[in-house]
Amino acid sequence: MRLREWEVCARLAAVPHEAPGSESVSDNENLTVKQQREKRRAEKVAALKKKQQAEKVRNRITVLGSIAAGAGVLSLIIAVVITSATPPVDPSTIEVEGVQEIEGLQATHVQTAVDYDQTPPAGGPHNPAWLNCGIYEEPVPNENAVHSLEHGAVWVTYDPAQLSEDEVGQLRGSVPSTYMIVSPFDGLDAPVYASAWGYQVALDGVDDPRLDDFIVKYRQSPEAPEPGALCSQAVDGPGKIS
Amino acid sequence: MSIAVSTPSGRTRLAVVGALLVLVALVAGVLLGRATASSAPATPSATSAEAGFARDMQTHHAQAVDMAILVREATDDPEVRLLALDILTAQSQQMGQMFAWLVSWGAPQTSTEQPMAWMSRPALDGGHDEHSESHVPGERMPGLATPEQMAALADAEGVEAERLFLELMTEHHIGGVEMAEAVLARTELPLVANLANGMVQLQSKEIDYMRELLEARQ
Repeated sequence: MRLREWEVCARLAAVPHEAPGSESVSDNENLTVKQQREKRRAEKVAALKKKQQAEKVRNRITVLGSIAAGAGVLSLIIAVVITSATPPVDPSTIEVEGVQEIEGLQATHVQTAVDYDQTPPAGGPHNPAWLNCGIYEEPVPNENAVHSLEHGAVWVTYDPAQLSEDEVGQLRGSVPSTYMIVSPFDGLDAPVYASAWGYQVALDGVDDPRLDDFIVKYRQSPEAPEPGALCSQAVDGPGKIS
Repeated sequence: MSIAVSTPSGRTRLAVVGALLVLVALVAGVLLGRATASSAPATPSATSAEAGFARDMQTHHAQAVDMAILVREATDDPEVRLLALDILTAQSQQMGQMFAWLVSWGAPQTSTEQPMAWMSRPALDGGHDEHSESHVPGERMPGLATPEQMAALADAEGVEAERLFLELMTEHHIGGVEMAEAVLARTELPLVANLANGMVQLQSKEIDYMRELLEARQ
């Protein structure tokens, strides 16, 4: 493209060269002094035009190149910012302060009441029927809820004596809609507990940031015996509101 | 570009463009480094114990799902129907997990080897355990019901279907536990070990429960 423009310049420059009336322009010696002067002038003009044209082309290349490079740098910087702003969440890197690990839990099916080592329970023998996940406003049977823990649910229990109604509402609204049980549990030694199969944490209240961390780390965790098994289609406890 | 070099102002512009290109290359390099630096976990090969387990256990689970569907259609008994629902949904979900392992490992869902070949090979400690000695590649997987038994379950109704289901599923679970224990002796991948541990833990207890249910139906 540049070459072609050069050719155009050269042709333009040649036009005054072949001025009308000059019959033997190729021979300098046949030209008058005036004609020679005009020819030199024409050559100078042509050279100047050539130079200007070349500069124009150079400018265009530089501008376009700079824009392209600038856009490239900008998009890379944006990419860096975006990727650093949302780092991948690896559950194994989440540390929930104060979490208790319970080992040696048995997944036995029993039809009887179970005396659990933890209050609230965080795994162990359980009823063959799991508790349908959801929000409950009355205490739910431990033996059914523990079966849901086995299926990867997180059970959030709160002591109604230690939370206001607003706080209970906030708690109910702050958890995922599946594989979660929220229910009252009388006589807890902390306002709120979060429990998964084999893991449990006592929380200071509904604003305790460890609640979200616990749910992200343990809900449907591969450490549960059967994550992803159903948490519906079995039994409802009393006072299920959603 | 060769034209631009010929004048001082062209050289300046060239330098600017050049510097920008270098910057682009640097940033790209940093990004590339970030993307590739994370320690890649080991990927099991298509003939590994992990891949063999993922395929064979999908086949094994698929039959359990079939049995559970058959018994739910054959009886109204709430205990057996709930147990069957538990088994069929849990094992379907696990089949999905194992299917996705193979996809992410770039291993085919269909083996180029006989079923159970992985189980007949030595364990991680290099020794031959009871699994590698008792299993011949290509033979029926442990606990798998025969086509005749499946047909009988499909034909049965009521308490007869419940009994047959409980008997077949107990054998099926015993075989499943055996396969899960075999892969536990052959893998160091937490992904695989977690699921296999869950199967051992769950199915062992379900075996006890099914024996109780069976006893109550004799």
